[in-house]
Amino acid sequence: MEQAFYLAIGIFVAVYALLIWDKLNRAVVALLGASALILLGVLNQEAAVHGIDFNTIGLLIGMMVIVFISQDTGMFQFIAIKGAKMSKGDPWKILIALSVVTALLSALLDNVTTVLLTVPITLLITQELEVNPYPYLVSQILMSNIGGTATLIGDPPNIMIGSATGLTFMDFVFGVGPVIPIIFIATIIPLRFIYGSSFKVSEDRKKRIMEFRESEALTDIPLLKKCLVVLALVVGGFMMQRQLHLEPATIALFGASVLLLISKKDLHQVMEKVEWTSIFFFIGLFIVVHSLVEVGFIRYLADLMLAATGGDLAVTGFAILWGSAIASSIVDNIPFVATMIPLIKNMAPAFGGDAAVLPLWWALSLGACLGGNGTIIGASANVVVSGIAHRNGHEMKFFKFMLIAYPMMLLSIAISTVYMYIRFLG
Amino acid sequence: MIAASIMTTKVLTVPVTGTMYDAFNLVQEAKVRQIPILDEQKRVVGVLTPRSLMKAILPSYITEGLVEDVRFAPELPDFVQNIDKLASKKVSDLLEKDFVAVSPETSVMEVAALMVNAKKHVESVLVVDDRKTLLGIISPWDVFKRLWDYSEKNRK
Repeated sequence: MEQAFYLAIGIFVAVYALLIWDKLNRAVVALLGASALILLGVLNQEAAVHGIDFNTIGLLIGMMVIVFISQDTGMFQFIAIKGAKMSKGDPWKILIALSVVTALLSALLDNVTTVLLTVPITLLITQELEVNPYPYLVSQILMSNIGGTATLIGDPPNIMIGSATGLTFMDFVFGVGPVIPIIFIATIIPLRFIYGSSFKVSEDRKKRIMEFRESEALTDIPLLKKCLVVLALVVGGFMMQRQLHLEPATIALFGASVLLLISKKDLHQVMEKVEWTSIFFFIGLFIVVHSLVEVGFIRYLADLMLAATGGDLAVTGFAILWGSAIASSIVDNIPFVATMIPLIKNMAPAFGGDAAVLPLWWALSLGACLGGNGTIIGASANVVVSGIAHRNGHEMKFFKFMLIAYPMMLLSIAISTVYMYIRFLG
Repeated sequence: MIAASIMTTKVLTVPVTGTMYDAFNLVQEAKVRQIPILDEQKRVVGVLTPRSLMKAILPSYITEGLVEDVRFAPELPDFVQNIDKLASKKVSDLLEKDFVAVSPETSVMEVAALMVNAKKHVESVLVVDDRKTLLGIISPWDVFKRLWDYSEKNRK
């Protein structure tokens, strides 16, 4: 027992260290850690498999399939161009429009998929306008993480929290949703003052934006109709989750199967686009964290944290909010949240049961999702945007980005603190 | 039948030290699919293909396939300007290093298989000796023409 305890901690620390070092593929690291735990007898295979949250896995796979097929219709590009044109070609209004589109899309799609769709359009538009794309890229990053916070399916931390706690789609919309528009506005206003000078262009340039033909982006109308039906069913299903007594994974995988059936897409082609490396990263990580639960280390940590906060819910909530934000700005928020979930679950009895710790889940969600905005490596979407920007000749430097983004992130957490205080912890 | 028997030996080449301007001037007249690039020892170091040049003037979010379909966008002004920038670049900046080359003794069937199965788009196959000195070039039509001639002869 004693030996298993230290082995589990040792492997957990090694996995974390390798993830932060970021030289090996994260899925390989997590799977190596997981299989080492089984090999060394800390967990048996059955217990390991038991530790995997298949609701998270199913939801991720289901959404990836639906989004991949929907992408083929060009509907997301249509929305982005339509948004840009509604601003009549004014660069500042285009930035707002693209930010709204990014935030809305990332509330429904995962953040990386969102920026992969919106950033190329953003670069195309800024090139037409002959304006510096940098402010646009910064806002895309910030808004993808902010928008993703609003819903259960918007960001992996929320998916994991929802799966582990049974909190529904609408719980998230009402729990964290209301603060998101406020954070959106509080983030976009400073951008105007920071980058104000780069939003001046001639009328001629504005006209070029109006020449974009967004309807041409819709490449497959029959498929578009099918996708819209399935998307409506899935989102409707999420909203009715409580009444239907269904797990989100069931809804997403059902939607994915229906869309695969009616779209007649080549299954192999679709399956290739599912991000299996992310899926296996989650699987390995769940097992690694589960071993900490099994050997009692999470219980021990929970007791430590309770002692530190004196068992005060508000203090614990704010500690989780700020702690998650700072941690997520440096490390991947997925392993962090995977570790925090059993920790909060272990603290629940001390606060009077599962219902009492509800604010702690919202604190974790807000901290982990918004914290990713702090640095260029804080969230996967940030890394993806800076990668695309780099390959198109626009460097996004670590400190230059952090100088703007870190205060913005802290501002969003400060707003979240006020929100948490008024709604849950006051 | 071997590669040496069907290759074209008169090949248009550009030295690796040249500029793209020189390369453009060369292809003005001749109709070639790709231009082998040679170093001072006349060894092949790469090829220039119209595809890679086109890639070089397009924004990378298009060439990476992030927006595959740009029907919705009006013409980008930079698209044309980028060609001017390209002309002043060095050949060595734009050459493709993973070209397909075979030895003169390679069978024609292997050459044909290479053209059909290659992962990337094969414009033509270079024929080089073991020191990578260029001996000739084989286009897909060369293969067909020789096979056709061969079967024609046999029918008679």
